Amino acid sequence: MTDTIGEARIKVPDRISRGDLITVNSIVSHPMDTGFFRNADGDPIPAYFIKQVVVTYAGNEVARFEWTSGISRDPVVSFTLKAEKEGPLTMLWTDSKGAKFKQSVNISFASA
Amino acid sequence: MAGLVAGSTLVNRLLAATRYAAEPEDPEVPNEEVARILERIADGRPIRRGHVSLDMPVVAEDGRVVPIMIETDLPMTPERYVKAVHLIVDHNPDAHLAAFHLTPAIGSASISTRIKMKRTTWVRALVETSDGEVWADYSRVRVSLNGCG
Repeated sequence: MTDTIGEARIKVPDRISRGDLITVNSIVSHPMDTGFFRNADGDPIPAYFIKQVVVTYAGNEVARFEWTSGISRDPVVSFTLKAEKEGPLTMLWTDSKGAKFKQSVNISFASA
Repeated sequence: MAGLVAGSTLVNRLLAATRYAAEPEDPEVPNEEVARILERIADGRPIRRGHVSLDMPVVAEDGRVVPIMIETDLPMTPERYVKAVHLIVDHNPDAHLAAFHLTPAIGSASISTRIKMKRTTWVRALVETSDGEVWADYSRVRVSLNGCG
């Protein structure tokens, strides 16, 4: 993975109507090191992973994920969202060193 | 008549309890760590099979990247919803791999991700509802390549 740690993308459908149950796909670049591997020199690679993801939608927290290093490198997660309001969908990933990575998409409804 | 109705309800309850207890495919609890995790989540409530579907490959070639999908048919209304989905991989170094805390705004409890697996083991998806029920599904995954180091 050549991307910078914390680079993130969120994908929602192009066309959303009010009331749709949409699928949200997300990915964030992160090594998700378990602490059990060694580098080429034989030195242990310390554990370093995303431990929390907070999802907010139009200003309200709608989901919160607690993770361990058992989630694969460059974590993907998909979930649904009931599109009842227009507004930003924001994901905030926090890693085990306390670094925070944020990404947003705007949920807006297709005009008829 | 009232007694008969109450009696049949009791019988149904007993039958239900027996059915859950005798569920043949429920995996055994392999060690104290998993026992503690299950106890912490269930907190004395029965863990029953149903309403949850844990979809995983039967064989995972590469334990570093194993796709997983958890779905439920439980409602997501303010009155009753899935408040948490727990993922437990029995023989992983950190068995309680993830917890997904949800609200009704999510619309459905349906989560996909990719996980690491150390070796062949049972995977457990436990779902907690806002009114205190705990539902589960299990999947045994054969792992060819250790993904945990």
